[in-house]
Amino acid sequence: MDKKPSHARTVIAYIVLIILTFLCLFFFYILIVNATRSHPQIQKGFSFIPGHSFMKNLRSVLNDANIPVISGIKNSLIVSSLSAILATYFSALTAYGLYAYDFKLKKPAFVFIMLILVMPTQVSAMGFINLITKMGMLNTLYPLFLPSIAAPAVFYFMYSYMQSSLPLELVEAARIDGSSEFHTFNRVVIPIMKPALAVQAIFAFVSSWNNYFIPALVISDNSKKTLPILIAALRSADFLKFDMGKVYMLITIAIVPIIIVYIALSKYIVAGVALGGVKE
Amino acid sequence: MAGITFKNVVKTYDNGVTVVPDLNLEIKDKEFVVLVGPSGCGKSTTLRMIAGLESITDGELYIGDKLMNAVAPKNRNIAMVFQNYALYPHLSVYKNMTFALELAKVPKNEMKKKVQWAAEILGLEPYLDRKPKALSGGQRQRVALGRAMVRDPEVFLLDEPLSNLDAKLRTEMRSQISKLHKRLGTTFVYVTHDQTEAMTMGDRICVMKDGIVQQFDTPQNLYDHPCNIFVAGFIGSPQMNFIDAQVKKADGGYALCFGDTKVISDRSELAAYEGKTVVLGIRPEDLHAEQSFFKEGNSIKAYIDLDEMMGSESYLYLEYAGQKMIARVPARYAKRAEENIELAIDVEKIHLFDKETEKAI
Repeated sequence: MDKKPSHARTVIAYIVLIILTFLCLFFFYILIVNATRSHPQIQKGFSFIPGHSFMKNLRSVLNDANIPVISGIKNSLIVSSLSAILATYFSALTAYGLYAYDFKLKKPAFVFIMLILVMPTQVSAMGFINLITKMGMLNTLYPLFLPSIAAPAVFYFMYSYMQSSLPLELVEAARIDGSSEFHTFNRVVIPIMKPALAVQAIFAFVSSWNNYFIPALVISDNSKKTLPILIAALRSADFLKFDMGKVYMLITIAIVPIIIVYIALSKYIVAGVALGGVKE
Repeated sequence: MAGITFKNVVKTYDNGVTVVPDLNLEIKDKEFVVLVGPSGCGKSTTLRMIAGLESITDGELYIGDKLMNAVAPKNRNIAMVFQNYALYPHLSVYKNMTFALELAKVPKNEMKKKVQWAAEILGLEPYLDRKPKALSGGQRQRVALGRAMVRDPEVFLLDEPLSNLDAKLRTEMRSQISKLHKRLGTTFVYVTHDQTEAMTMGDRICVMKDGIVQQFDTPQNLYDHPCNIFVAGFIGSPQMNFIDAQVKKADGGYALCFGDTKVISDRSELAAYEGKTVVLGIRPEDLHAEQSFFKEGNSIKAYIDLDEMMGSESYLYLEYAGQKMIARVPARYAKRAEENIELAIDVEKIHLFDKETEKAI
């Protein structure tokens, strides 16, 4: 009796999902196709069939002295990885502090962190540049990852996750078992937080990887530039040298690490590590 | 091995609520003490103060002869079993049990021996490599017990450890914990709201209400000589019947009158209550349907509202002289609902309470 409507629903669901998948993957496909075509071919218009200029584009990207792609990848990797690690670890630590302990300024502290959340980066950018100039960090990579320690959005995510998945009895059990507070955090809390850490690590990595605003303000040395700055530099190259194939190739190179990170961490998102320890 | 002493202990939370106003309690070495009472009576708070998970607002807490007020939980040499087991979900059963030992830097082979010893007692040997989520509720509870056992603690604290288990498993675990206590010879403090658990397991039971110890005694004494109406009503299932009775002078002592019944008691303490009303307590099993119990004046003729057949016996819900009562009689003497029955009160077994102070007379 009720099989028919569910069948129809399945069909509709599949159609919607196929459209969504197409919309998501179509641009990746065009990007990769264009990375294999030469500049004149791309200018002629868009095509589903890959061209033959893959190696040529790759070579012209790697050999351009003005665009140090290899060091750009290295810098981006360093900055994004450290950002991801710092943002997730310290946000989890902060969230744990507010979740597991009772102290007088607990509520004001929480409100203060939430207030920072609504502050756009652009507002504080001038002050930030001033500060790092005085600290002698201008034109270094440090200002690109150190501020990740204070990530209010990540903090809030961790805090909510703890509320749903970290019973305080576990912390108490660890205390009675003789574990110090830091040891409890590192050995009991962090493993339980793995799914949340993985999700936030991906987001932090990606947003740092894509970040153009702060690096553009801070970095002036070619050797310290991250990928988004290099891509921008390539796009604004003078008209005679402008090569769309090269731009597409560089963008393709730029998204590969992100795809790898997604694939590597996605299994943790699904795994419910916290299930089973405590009876709900 | 150590006893536990509370001296004028007060616990007030930050929001100003005092859960434990003034606690004095002495738990002997190797004793199995059960803290029992309705929810919110402060029993769990008391246990958590022993564990060091709650700070003590005022007073002194000793484990052995050491003052523990300012000692961190990890330095108290106690082990605790939580209601939700609180197993580390990311560690195997073996690792769960060795977590504390690793921190105490116990040598590997000794650790292995201890886990094996505990696993053997608790029947956990086949599960040592499993994660907690692959275990049933009863198995998880045993892992929690094992985790506490391997540490050789001075005091074992158990916070409603059986309340998440089904009835059959609860009975089984109850006897297992009792056996464990005998085997380990450690001080056990056990919190529950289930009076059956309290009666069957405790050497002594501490009945609490509103943070105040009502009575701290052996199970038998609590049952036979409850010190007030609360304890009398809390211990025993179905609970004791309470009837308002007038005290009148009579031949051979005092008559306790209610309805048409006059129960004669020779208790001299009743002199002070002559002409007043007292609360007469009678346990459901002390109301008898058998002929041999009938004497003059001790019978009640009551209407049966409802009967619950339990197999060997029957619970009769009665109405007599405007008061509700429960009788527990052997099934072959029981009558059915909407009938009348004549029951004899066992005068030797009655309890008397002051109506105002609710204390035993």
